[in-house]
Amino acid sequence: MKKYSIILGSVAVALATFTSCKKNFLAEKPYSSYSPVTLTDSLGLEASLVGLYQYETGILTYSGNQGWPSVWQVGTDVANATGNQQGIEVPYYNYAQLTSTDYGALYTWQKYYGLVNNANIIIDAAPKATGSITAFGKKTIEAEARFFRAYAYNTLATLYGKVPLILHSVTGPKTDFTRTPLDQVNAQIVNDLTFAITYGADLNPGTKNTNSLGNPVSRFNKYMAMQLLAEVYLRMGKNDLAQQQAQAVINSGKFSLIQSRYGVVSSLPGDYYSDMFHYGNQRRSQGNTEAIWVLEQENPSTVVGGNVDNAQQRRVWGAAYYQISGMVLCDSLGGRGIARLRLSNWVLYGLYPKGDIRNSQYNIRRRYYYNDPKSPKFGQQVPFTGADTLFRICPSTTKWGQFDPNDTFGYAMIKDFIMMRLGETYLLLAEAQVKQGDLAGAAASINALRTRAQAPLVTPSQMTLDFVLDERARELIGEENRRMTLMRTGTLVDRALRLNSNDAQHPTTGLTATNLLLPIPLNEIQLNKDAVLEQNPGY
Amino acid sequence: MSKKFTYPVLLILLISIILNAFSQQAHAQGATYTVKGRVVDDKGSSLPGATVKVEGSTQGVQTDANGTFSLTLNKPATLVVSFVGMVSKSVQVSAQHRLIDVSLADNGKALNEVVVVGYGTQKKSDITGSVASVPKARLSELPVTNVLQAVEGAVAGVTVAAASSVPGTQPTALVRGQNSINASNSPYVVVDGIPLTKSGGSLNDINPNDIASVEILKDASATAIYGMNGSNGVILITTKRGTTGKPVIRYNVYAGLENIAHILQPRTGAEYIQKYADWWMETYPKNPVPTIPVPNNTELPNYQAGHTIDWIKEATQQGVMQDHNVSISGGSPDVKYFVSGDYLKQQGVVKGYQYHRVSFRSNLDVNVTNYLTIGMSSFITSNNYDGGRANLLLATAMSPYGNEYNPDGTYNIYPMNPEQLYVNPMLGLTTDQLNRSVNLQGNGYAEINFGSWIKGLKYRLNVGYNYLPTQLASYSGRAANTPLGQASETNTTTNAYTIDNLLYYVRDFGKHHIDFTGLYSSQQRRYWSTTGGATGFVNDALSYNNLGAGATQSSGSYSDRYASVSQMGRLNYSYNSRYLFTFTVRRDGSSVMGGNTDKYGWFPSAALGWNISQEDFLKDSKFVNNLKLRGSYGKAGNEAISVYKTITTDGTVRFPFNGVSTIGTQAGNLGNSNLHWESTVTANIGADFSILNNRISGTIDAYKSHTYGLLLQESLPAITGYGSVFNNIGKTANQGLELTLNTRNIDGKDFRWESNIVFSTNKNKIVDLYGNKQSDVGNRWFIGQPIGVIYDYKMVGVWQNGQDPSKQDPGAKPGDLKFADTNGDGKITPDDRVIQGQTAPKWTGGLTNTFHYKNFNLSVFVQTAQGMLKNNADLNYADESGRRNTPVEIGYWTPTNGNNQFQALTYTNTRGYGYPRDASYTRIKDVTLSYVVPQSVLSKIGVSGLTFYLSGRNLYTFTKWIGWDPEQSYYTRGTSNSNNNQAAFAADWTNNYPVTRTVVLGANISLK
Repeated sequence: MKKYSIILGSVAVALATFTSCKKNFLAEKPYSSYSPVTLTDSLGLEASLVGLYQYETGILTYSGNQGWPSVWQVGTDVANATGNQQGIEVPYYNYAQLTSTDYGALYTWQKYYGLVNNANIIIDAAPKATGSITAFGKKTIEAEARFFRAYAYNTLATLYGKVPLILHSVTGPKTDFTRTPLDQVNAQIVNDLTFAITYGADLNPGTKNTNSLGNPVSRFNKYMAMQLLAEVYLRMGKNDLAQQQAQAVINSGKFSLIQSRYGVVSSLPGDYYSDMFHYGNQRRSQGNTEAIWVLEQENPSTVVGGNVDNAQQRRVWGAAYYQISGMVLCDSLGGRGIARLRLSNWVLYGLYPKGDIRNSQYNIRRRYYYNDPKSPKFGQQVPFTGADTLFRICPSTTKWGQFDPNDTFGYAMIKDFIMMRLGETYLLLAEAQVKQGDLAGAAASINALRTRAQAPLVTPSQMTLDFVLDERARELIGEENRRMTLMRTGTLVDRALRLNSNDAQHPTTGLTATNLLLPIPLNEIQLNKDAVLEQNPGY
Repeated sequence: MSKKFTYPVLLILLISIILNAFSQQAHAQGATYTVKGRVVDDKGSSLPGATVKVEGSTQGVQTDANGTFSLTLNKPATLVVSFVGMVSKSVQVSAQHRLIDVSLADNGKALNEVVVVGYGTQKKSDITGSVASVPKARLSELPVTNVLQAVEGAVAGVTVAAASSVPGTQPTALVRGQNSINASNSPYVVVDGIPLTKSGGSLNDINPNDIASVEILKDASATAIYGMNGSNGVILITTKRGTTGKPVIRYNVYAGLENIAHILQPRTGAEYIQKYADWWMETYPKNPVPTIPVPNNTELPNYQAGHTIDWIKEATQQGVMQDHNVSISGGSPDVKYFVSGDYLKQQGVVKGYQYHRVSFRSNLDVNVTNYLTIGMSSFITSNNYDGGRANLLLATAMSPYGNEYNPDGTYNIYPMNPEQLYVNPMLGLTTDQLNRSVNLQGNGYAEINFGSWIKGLKYRLNVGYNYLPTQLASYSGRAANTPLGQASETNTTTNAYTIDNLLYYVRDFGKHHIDFTGLYSSQQRRYWSTTGGATGFVNDALSYNNLGAGATQSSGSYSDRYASVSQMGRLNYSYNSRYLFTFTVRRDGSSVMGGNTDKYGWFPSAALGWNISQEDFLKDSKFVNNLKLRGSYGKAGNEAISVYKTITTDGTVRFPFNGVSTIGTQAGNLGNSNLHWESTVTANIGADFSILNNRISGTIDAYKSHTYGLLLQESLPAITGYGSVFNNIGKTANQGLELTLNTRNIDGKDFRWESNIVFSTNKNKIVDLYGNKQSDVGNRWFIGQPIGVIYDYKMVGVWQNGQDPSKQDPGAKPGDLKFADTNGDGKITPDDRVIQGQTAPKWTGGLTNTFHYKNFNLSVFVQTAQGMLKNNADLNYADESGRRNTPVEIGYWTPTNGNNQFQALTYTNTRGYGYPRDASYTRIKDVTLSYVVPQSVLSKIGVSGLTFYLSGRNLYTFTKWIGWDPEQSYYTRGTSNSNNNQAAFAADWTNNYPVTRTVVLGANISLK
């Protein structure tokens, strides 16, 4: 009897513990992550679109290498690295060091292909979107994603030339990419932008904070695609088509140049040009009638997820005035900068005509006054002595100034990024006109900006591509990606060497026509083991 | 203050009460007398479970966990003391001679010594696999908080590395080299039959005082029974259990001091001034003299007053370490128990660092009937890593002329204002940090013996359940440079269970011995975490205790599940104890494998052994006492990728529009639904030997392993939009040699000297990566080379004034590092990078010398790791050289000093050179002097065993490395490693911590 009870007992226990044999015991379900297959309805696709804005902002605000914003400015005509340089920017003025292992070139490549992939996921899914979504709704979603894809490919094509063209998201390992001819890449960009213009949102008149689709006004509108298309056509040499697009933006009636003071600091010393770059004034809904595309940022201490990475623009562009005894950090001086770069002498001493508001004390700060009330010299002007002028009170643009009294060190700059504005549209138009020989038209376009800037007007005989590029520096200093503009127009070598080759501390050396394209990252070439990813000549 | 001492005081109180009770009991004895004694082996280690029999009678006892016994007799007698594998001894006792210490010598055969193997035990002589036991001496009298700290260097084939000395940090272990490139290489840890790995627990939860033995399974024959978890080796830990006999109360205590073993001393005031002047001159050659002699205005008053601060002194403190352990064990033949309580407290050498642990364990074995035995091994451990901490890196960066305090006595946030990059190293001390984990583990078993029905058949059910909550909370306020106040809390819960059904059949048929083990097992783990954060507090009064009082709120949560199912069979067969054969096979299924696969894998192994010394021709040999040859071949697996790696997932992000935070999604992990195991096939041959009357004994093993179907994180071209994907590709191989030697050099009556030598070498190489025998330079993986190599430019010096770098390295200037043009093309390009060495040691070794003189024992343990390179981040302060203080030992180039070893202060490392340097070292790891108080003394104080010891750890290190320590990871400013993210010792720059030298005084007391 005892034997049987032992057997029975153990069988019962064994059976109880064998219940884990259930078939789905080993099945896996991620409880806390979405997957592409769960984001196919309109809300899922909307969220994926939001991801694109965050992704692009992540690139602009990258802080892993703090000298990142310098990469696009030093070693061109407008700026030089200072003693406070970080490192990533060195090969961009000491061009002998710009090789296929350059990290700046790798990072740019990686991030823009990342943006392409995120856009492709949406473009693949939108036409098949599930749930209650109209055919038109699917098109507007696709339009927004295709704008970002075009934006990414335009950046890649400008910087690297012909690049692999990937139009669908990758679902598994793939290592056999080849570079697509530039014509095909360009054609695809034009195709994407044309689609985006057709189906993209329009803007409401005035400064409403929503667009014609009811989305926040800083989301995609078709003028973003038109402005980008104008730039793409200029790069392709289709100047007449570029002119059409730029003209269409100007003629839309949705934008106007800022010509009078407005917004949150309008009662403080300043001018209407400086108003536009003050945080709180940068958005269309805040009165910036020039704004076409603004990426917004909020202080994360008040809006969760308000910023992305730790933007370095203020630190890179701003002077380190507080290092002078008798100077303390303050809001009106733009918070804490460390001057990793300094405007070139060409910009500071040769560029601006007298009276140009864009060179006012409020826009390029050239004089400092002791501001520590405890200092015996309080209120007096800080003299220019020795090395101080190289980064402590070097004249610098105020466009990136920002101060948070709760974070005086300010590792992250919390400020909107004005990606596109009407001021630049006139410059794109002028460029298209100059290239077609319409010098009178070009002068008129330039004069639209000059009138606003209270600068002397220009005549058609002055109009050359170089003049337009000079004017771009005057209007867009600090905002534009100068390196990309000069690479796009093929003028990098000439202008950097002619206008800014002999900086006292970090002169530009080794710059040749090779550098009109960046190297294809060696890492990419090596990982792409099943096909040859050809290197750009000279690297 | 008073709370701190509550535990030890209570324990001492408890002891004295018990002590009183026993001394009274002793007085109550009358005409009879009590013999007390302790049985030890020839190394002086206790022998628990030795038999003490009164000759010519049935009376007898077994020694307890401390090797002590007590017998009550009424006339003079002869006691026969015996222990398996030892030569028995007879001792005369009488009322006058009733306190004895018996030392038994090894009989050289070690025939019946039992070793813990997976899912059971085996006679050592029957083992065919490679199983290493951690020497018992390493398990006591050492001031370690984690048992792996005691294993470092002491076992052949096991590489333990302590990357950090932060109190409460765990070392990492690697058995027989690295098989896997991206997947985990950590051995599988099993405690009392229940896996600790994958249950969320850690070895910090196991009190070293409770450990009876540690076995490490190394070859396929030994590990294959752990199938998918076996390929990285298995560590089996067995805790102490009760033995039959009177209760023994044991109190083990140690306390001592900890100090920094080596300081990388920052520059003094004058040196700092000089460095700044040199930096300035190079940076601004046209204005070669700085405006003021210090980098920042606020340093000026201290400079002018000649007042300097020793920041290292400010940020550090006297380390203190103490441990109190009380255990009670005993039992009747049917009920045996072991209960233990422990309190450990460690105060770090850097301010704010501390670790304390309270643990309780209860091990119970009950023979319910003659066929049913049940028992449990349960523990609760509470780990506490609380405390805001000072920052060592910042302390080394501070100007000696900085200002530590504000006039009101609070910490000055920016000691070198307006320099704001380097904040006061003490700010962390003003934050509130709560960091705790509890591991509650209940393990039970039931064993049914079917012996009366089928002889030799047993069924055993093991059930393990654990519950592991952790709590992290932090608040940073105004004093810590967080003007709005910021609080966060994270709570996690892990729940895991393991169920093992085991069937044993052990039977002898004549000279044939059969031992079969069968297993059906399942395992599941669930994990949940919840986080909350808030910023914008009215003031700092509420700390992290009311997140709702913060203006801006954030929250998050995460959950996952892991499950596995296993079946295993093992057959051991031996003939006449001479010829041994083992065959095992295991089948495992795991949830982490790809949805396109069946999720199951098979892992077979076989082994042969030959006890040559049992053969007639050696049986009576005077020279060879024991000799066994072993050989094994088999396959083990590694599933060690984390959950959900086979599924493509999207991450969520936030982005603001019109001031409203909006949820977005982005492509995240690229999944691979075809993922399955990586497999390792190992061949092992070995010999166990003992010669010259057991004066020399040892083990030698040689092995070769091949890992294929590697779970490799294949880097993808970024064109795909993804960085990498896990794939079953690639092959690696390891081969190595392990030697353990025990020698009795001097074997006198009063003086004895023994040595233990451990040597192991492992050669690791990548055989293939992507199936085309191509190296992956991007990842620095090279065919034919070890997995971890330094592939970099070769530094040959520094460019000097007068030398012309324009041809070879056009961007370079004097003071820049000079690299070798290894390919001879006249230019320094990425093609000049070469493989310079491996990051794992080429060989490691340990040497223990133990000296005994009468009751004194002295043990000196030296450990070494040789032949590895490591990047030395301390050699490059990048663009911060002019802004921070740097160590004296790290010099710099100037136009006048012509230094050829260090770069100029203004050098910018654009090539990403990593500064690889030789990280070999030899360490005097442990020195322990102990004194065993003789029984004759003990009897007078009513104590049955008492040992005092003085133990020192990390006493001296021989190395060429420039830095705090070659073994430790040291991080540059801003770096963090989120893979190792228990905030208590997160591998990031805020937790740089020096190696400590510990000296403790301890006592082990046992009462009966």
